[in-house]
Amino acid sequence: MQAAVGTAHVPHGHIHPPPDTFIKKYIFSQDHKVIAVQYFITSGLFFVLAGLLAEMMRAQLASANNTLLSPTTYNEAYSVHGSAMVWLVIIPILTGAFGNLIMPLQIGARDVAFPWLNMFSFWLLPPAGILLFGSFIWGAPEAGWTEYPPISLEQSFGTSMWCMAIFLIGVSSTITGLNFLVTIIKMRAPGMTWTRMPLFVWATAVTAFLSFIATANLSAALLGLLIERTFGVPFYDPAKGGSPVLWQHIFWFYSHPAVYIMILPAFGIVSEILPTFCRRPIFGYKAIAYSSVAIGLVSFAVWAHHMFTSGLAPWVQLPFMIMTMIVGIPTGVKIFSWVATLWGGNIRLTTPMYFVLGFLSTFTFGGITGIMLASVPADVHEHATYFVVAHLHYVLFGGSVFGIFAGLYYWWPKMTGRMLDETLGKIHFWLMFVSFNATFLPMHWIGLEGMPRRVSTYDPQYQDTNLFISISAFVLGASMLVFAYNAIKSTLSGREAGQNPWGARTLEWMIPSPPPYYNFEDIPVVLSGPYDYGKPLPYREIKADLDYKPIV
Amino acid sequence: MNTGQQEHKLDAGFWRATIVMGVISALGMWGVVVFPIERYLPEAAGIAVQIDWLFKFMAFFSVPILVYVNGYMIYFAVRYRNRKGQPLDQPGSSIHDHKALEFWWTAIPSVLMLVLGILSYVLIPQYYTARAASADSVTIEAIGHQFSWEFRYPGLRDPVPDELHLPINVPVTIDSTSTDVIHSFWVPAFRMKQDMIPGMVVPMTFTPTEIGKYEIVCTEFCGVGHSGMRDRFVYVQSRSDFDAWYAAEKTKQAHAPTQLTAAVLASGDAGAGQQLFNARCTTCHNAAPFDQRKVGPGLANLFHDPAHPKLLSGKAPTPADVADILEHGLSGSMGQMPNAQLNGLSAKDIADLVAYLKTLK
Repeated sequence: MQAAVGTAHVPHGHIHPPPDTFIKKYIFSQDHKVIAVQYFITSGLFFVLAGLLAEMMRAQLASANNTLLSPTTYNEAYSVHGSAMVWLVIIPILTGAFGNLIMPLQIGARDVAFPWLNMFSFWLLPPAGILLFGSFIWGAPEAGWTEYPPISLEQSFGTSMWCMAIFLIGVSSTITGLNFLVTIIKMRAPGMTWTRMPLFVWATAVTAFLSFIATANLSAALLGLLIERTFGVPFYDPAKGGSPVLWQHIFWFYSHPAVYIMILPAFGIVSEILPTFCRRPIFGYKAIAYSSVAIGLVSFAVWAHHMFTSGLAPWVQLPFMIMTMIVGIPTGVKIFSWVATLWGGNIRLTTPMYFVLGFLSTFTFGGITGIMLASVPADVHEHATYFVVAHLHYVLFGGSVFGIFAGLYYWWPKMTGRMLDETLGKIHFWLMFVSFNATFLPMHWIGLEGMPRRVSTYDPQYQDTNLFISISAFVLGASMLVFAYNAIKSTLSGREAGQNPWGARTLEWMIPSPPPYYNFEDIPVVLSGPYDYGKPLPYREIKADLDYKPIV
Repeated sequence: MNTGQQEHKLDAGFWRATIVMGVISALGMWGVVVFPIERYLPEAAGIAVQIDWLFKFMAFFSVPILVYVNGYMIYFAVRYRNRKGQPLDQPGSSIHDHKALEFWWTAIPSVLMLVLGILSYVLIPQYYTARAASADSVTIEAIGHQFSWEFRYPGLRDPVPDELHLPINVPVTIDSTSTDVIHSFWVPAFRMKQDMIPGMVVPMTFTPTEIGKYEIVCTEFCGVGHSGMRDRFVYVQSRSDFDAWYAAEKTKQAHAPTQLTAAVLASGDAGAGQQLFNARCTTCHNAAPFDQRKVGPGLANLFHDPAHPKLLSGKAPTPADVADILEHGLSGSMGQMPNAQLNGLSAKDIADLVAYLKTLK
């Protein structure tokens, strides 16, 4: 049926025929939907590997002076775990996978602006992953995902491979950012003004801007590190006249915007799912859209809050503290608007909604500990302790990963044409939600009590708490098996999803599942915003079946 | 199909839920106020009390935010859930926004942030500025090494390794730096932390207020021995105890250390050496073959390793040359080994270690 739609009817506009060979269709595909699936599969694999590294670390930390892993292996494990989760998992899944899968459909486009570049972006990801995980052969980087010099200058060849891997990801991210920006600016369907765009597209636009602008700085820093490691040009080594703090500045000038690259798309996902299952308009559409822009802009002026103990003068610390606290305000506006969207809804508590509510709960907590870290004197105590480990996992796991799973459960039917099992989904949610909190909540406490991060052995007074954390982390890892089983079951025997199983109103639900090649038979004309449940659909040129038949 | 939009009102149920959340918040906030932080982590410096107060201020206002966000979320999700017989596509409230509500939930957090910003900023000069040295104050240089601390006191010839002695109620300024990689000097009981960055000297100032022994922890990854940079302590002492320690240290340094004569070297005790090795050397060395290195090589075959007939110093592995490395340290291809002064080894310790190393096969 998809093939029939794609080929039998040739709509107006410049249309290429669909690819006819296996390689063009599934390997070097330029179709944004196929590329999205490639991202999901590749990054999903990296997620498993990086997750296993985390379980290794928790096994080591189960007792205070454990000798399961050597200090070197442990250091390699957490460094690659962090690097992989940030660069090979969360960023590619939220931009490459979700951005590719959903954004062109939601703006009524037939593909992204530069399909070849899109393919190229994706194909930088597997070599980066091979370089990063392959670095274990020569001795993986040990100084964490931040790789502060001078210690990173002294490490074995694996650190150079790390530089190359992250550089490739940086190039991929920059290109994707450019590609998405142009797509969103130039290729929206007629009538889709900025304030009629779905909120996921808003989030993707800001994310693309951040990826495009900020990532080049990371590439510069990495190139400097690689050149210094290989040829000895002293950028960062103080013994030769370099500055180790320089690396910190450039690294965080990218890596703080990167934090928002990793959370804004999740905000977008949440903003799509809530109105669908509340059957009502999102509360404060403009506030949510513009707060994404505000967060994006301010995110460029907060980087030194990672460096409050790096010897910056107080007058330098002050503006970074203030800007960081300011980020909390638009973020708060979003959270309050989402909660207000629940008010007066006709709420269907599906698995995507469970994950959204879980996201709201855990991300709010992570946001608040973020403010606690923004306050300079408090940060002097909290910095580089398990309190920070807890905070970052509350925003990156409790925020981004919960958002990713919400989006996966929500758009899986669109992507594959089949439903995921709701009961298994809810089992997955409860296992993950409870074990996530059991894993990371106690870390706040031991951090404040005095346990530093990045240690393979620790004072025996933290023994019991760490054992509890390790057991919880194993359950957390196991909860992913429920999802894997669900995904396989759905692929083999899932119920047909139909075009619009959730009764949503954004454009991706107006076409078959999975969408045909070139997406839209006719480019739709957009008459108003997407969230006015109870009103007629705001699209022309769309033959949509709007009957909301409960699938599950 | 649709059965028409229905608008909801803020009814008694909503206000009841709001009041319940208010009570829970109040309990939580009261809990924050009375929570005895010092029972779990001593507040051993003046600044620690202030920082804990700041933390409590943040936690105090976090409680209602968390309670109301989670509370309303759960209450709405349950209250407005799709019920049996209710059509799935029946639209909910059509309210898009509410200007006053949005104003207040932007304004109130903004005011809280402003207050927090000011409170935070007034605290910074309390610990950051290096005070002009008064007759009473102490300035100590702290230098980070892989993997030990070195403290230099005014008037003492040699640095003191891994032990920081401070007189109570005297303002102290610690000038931090490092000679190799970045370390971070953290005393949780003081709530004070400063990265030690090679090429930079950064001061921090505080006043210890409680006599006791508090752990120093390294919080910046500094290499394979990073996890072991704990179990070193700050000793906050009464003025007289501090003066006594200082005098003793001075006397100790004034007397030349026992010469490492051949006789002393020959009299080493392998048993004592083994204890010492396990306590001091295993941060960087394994008692295993050469290739099982940590920072430095494994030392099991030190005296008879056909694959490595020479020491890393380039000399033959005689007891005297091994002792020479232990005494003076070594800067070689694998990094830097601190000298006996920094490792806190006496001549007898060196002799014991050599005796122990000789027994390894």
